[in-house]
Amino acid sequence: MERRQQIARIREARALITAAIAECRSPQIETILKSADAELHWALWNLGEPVPLRPELEYGEAVPEGRTRAR
Amino acid sequence: MTSTRLALLGARAGASRFWNEYTETMPREELDALHLKRLRALVEYAYELSPFYRGKFDAASLKPRDIRTIEDFKRRVPLTDKSEFVGLQEAAPPYGPTLALPPEFVVHHCETSGTTGVPLSIPYSMSDTVRYGESWVYGFWALGIRPSDSFYFAFSWGNFAGFWSAYWGARRLGCRVLSGGGLDTKGHIQAILRMRPTVLISTPTFALRMAAVAAEMGIDLSQSSIKYTYHAGEPGPTALPAMRAQLEQAWGAKAGELLGIAEVDAMAPGCPEGDGVHVNEMNVFSWSMDPESGAEAGEGKIGENIVTSYANTAQPLLNYRTHDLVLRRPSCPCGRTWSKLEGAVLGRTDFMLTVRGTNVYQSAVENLVAETPGVGSAYELVLTREGDNDVMTIRFEPSPEHAADPASWDGIGQQLSDRIHAALHVHLRVRPAAPNSLPRYELKTKRMIDQRPKEFRRALDR
Repeated sequence: MERRQQIARIREARALITAAIAECRSPQIETILKSADAELHWALWNLGEPVPLRPELEYGEAVPEGRTRAR
Repeated sequence: MTSTRLALLGARAGASRFWNEYTETMPREELDALHLKRLRALVEYAYELSPFYRGKFDAASLKPRDIRTIEDFKRRVPLTDKSEFVGLQEAAPPYGPTLALPPEFVVHHCETSGTTGVPLSIPYSMSDTVRYGESWVYGFWALGIRPSDSFYFAFSWGNFAGFWSAYWGARRLGCRVLSGGGLDTKGHIQAILRMRPTVLISTPTFALRMAAVAAEMGIDLSQSSIKYTYHAGEPGPTALPAMRAQLEQAWGAKAGELLGIAEVDAMAPGCPEGDGVHVNEMNVFSWSMDPESGAEAGEGKIGENIVTSYANTAQPLLNYRTHDLVLRRPSCPCGRTWSKLEGAVLGRTDFMLTVRGTNVYQSAVENLVAETPGVGSAYELVLTREGDNDVMTIRFEPSPEHAADPASWDGIGQQLSDRIHAALHVHLRVRPAAPNSLPRYELKTKRMIDQRPKEFRRALDR
């Protein structure tokens, strides 16, 4: 598969997984989905894509609710 | 009933010479463009999430938006040093303000050995452990190790990052992992004979120690199931060609080496050419600095390796001083474009002696020690201060065939002294030591014993 096409498919897969994470009510399934997304994020990183440093930064959960970021 | 074909990798991927050909052979201009994007993202990340970096940047009147080029990054982002982190962690253990993620993101904790000082605490998030392990795999794959291989880990599972990360790498590659945790040297040998692993993971000196003990047991490990030995934690077969010969003969196996720094990454897996390591430029950005002037050391010049890790997001390291002296090359016959460090680490900025105007590097001395006939694998380099001069004394044990012949020891020492003078143009003292009198180590072998007064040495502990 051509690289650009592979990247596009991985991005599509991430979009589907991210949507599923947002709807999760099971800690088990959310954990598994986040793990899958982390692997896909890592695949994009190693395909030379300029993705953020951590996958959570794309769904805004690096800092859990109720905590403040370092200022 | 349908039959299912089980395979860890498809035929095309399995036949690749590279773990990731696209990035490992990426042209320099593209690599640098990618680095710039990632460095800018990392600066933003560190400033936003790490109190340590926010304070450091603010003190330097630096904002993330000020970093527009790689030169900006090298020049404007303040250098960091292990001693800074250790001091902050000591004041507020375990991580102080160096943590960039909420503590619940930390899934694994390691520490540096702290042999002469306070250990550095190293936090890893889950994805950090994946990234760190991945670095090993580039080297495993380049050496010929495949998912069908099985790894024997000849070490105790303490807080030592090197072999935890090798374990993460072996899992990533899909290999079988056999743990030697808790066994003594003879127990490791017996376990290898019983379980028949194909890859040995250990420090290089411990691999030689195992071979020597096996010989005493009447066992020739070159006839064992081991096809590859892979090493880290101290200068090994890449830094010391003579050690490569010893390892490969003792084990009848190909020896590989990775240059890792516990708090940074398993950052530079071995080159298949055997004469250096390649910086994993997907995980690390690095450049060389002249330790005297602070200016960038040009191509072909020895300089201190300054590294920035994309792998450790729990405790970011930006423009981190490694105190490792390296010689960087931009290209390699193996086809990798990732920066090559010839001979891995050539020496330490804090263990570089200047004797009558000549720089003496630890690895250069060790190479000569290892290739001198009659010198055993146990030796140490003792630094003392006499008057205004640093003095290095080499204490060595004779090899087993000379152990029972003390009359030959001084001659062996003289031969070593002559070789050092011929190669390095300095006179170092050489003293024989009785067989089995020098200490043995399972993990990092301490070769350099610094007995100089504190004011004459740097405080850094690795």
